[in-house]
Amino acid sequence: MEIQKPLKRGLLNGLSITFMMVKVIVPCYIAIEIIKHSGLIDIISRACKPFMTIFGLPGEAALSLVAGYVINIYAAIAVLAPLGLPAKDVTVVALMLGICHSLTIETPITKKTGANASLLLLVRIVLSLFSGVVLHLVWK
Amino acid sequence: MILNALRDSLWLTVKLLLIILPLTISYEFLKERGLFSGTKPFFFMGITRPGLLPLITGVIIGLTYGAGVIIHAIKEHKLGKREVFLILLFLSVCHAMFEDTLLFVVIGANGLIVVVARLILAVVFTYLAYRARLFET
Repeated sequence: MEIQKPLKRGLLNGLSITFMMVKVIVPCYIAIEIIKHSGLIDIISRACKPFMTIFGLPGEAALSLVAGYVINIYAAIAVLAPLGLPAKDVTVVALMLGICHSLTIETPITKKTGANASLLLLVRIVLSLFSGVVLHLVWK
Repeated sequence: MILNALRDSLWLTVKLLLIILPLTISYEFLKERGLFSGTKPFFFMGITRPGLLPLITGVIIGLTYGAGVIIHAIKEHKLGKREVFLILLFLSVCHAMFEDTLLFVVIGANGLIVVVARLILAVVFTYLAYRARLFET
């Protein structure tokens, strides 16, 4: 089996892929920083607070959900962990955010593959909300 | 603020290189051995054998780190628009299954429920989109 050729091809592919990803991701990171400082997350999560009972969650969990949707799972966990919620609540948030998270980064990436990114974005949000309601109702 | 973003971006670039390079190199070696040829539809979701590679990559390492390999494999095998949609539909619901799940297990979630629910939703919806002949081109 040849070694040099595949090695070279793999290296070149990897470098060009990384370069492409950096071009997609850096603007997203800048956008996320701006969103973080704009107070937008707080405004949205305050508006969502009353609806948290649909998922059997306390109002404070809204911030975690919105942070997870817009920023990423690490941001969501940073605000969720101090709440010290019971296992059921944490699992509901985990399922909802597992299905739908980091939308500012993953939607542009999805678009790069050529798939219909806005339709997939809608599917993720709907499935996330739906699964949260169902898990809350099933887990008694 | 911008500095923060640049620092995060730089760190991500390093991580991407560390994850993507071994993947693309091992991919070339596996391809050399003819592992990704064949177009027989894979079980029941309209996904072909070359389509399995982006699918499995995404499920294991996620969209951000896997994107490079996913996009490359889609282009190289000239996967159809419909198959690309089905793969991305599956991945939208079900990706980075280890990292995402473990992060929540650490703070008390039931990982099994999360993994099983995501897998079932992904399979059911990909199958439905496949059977519904969505995006026939």
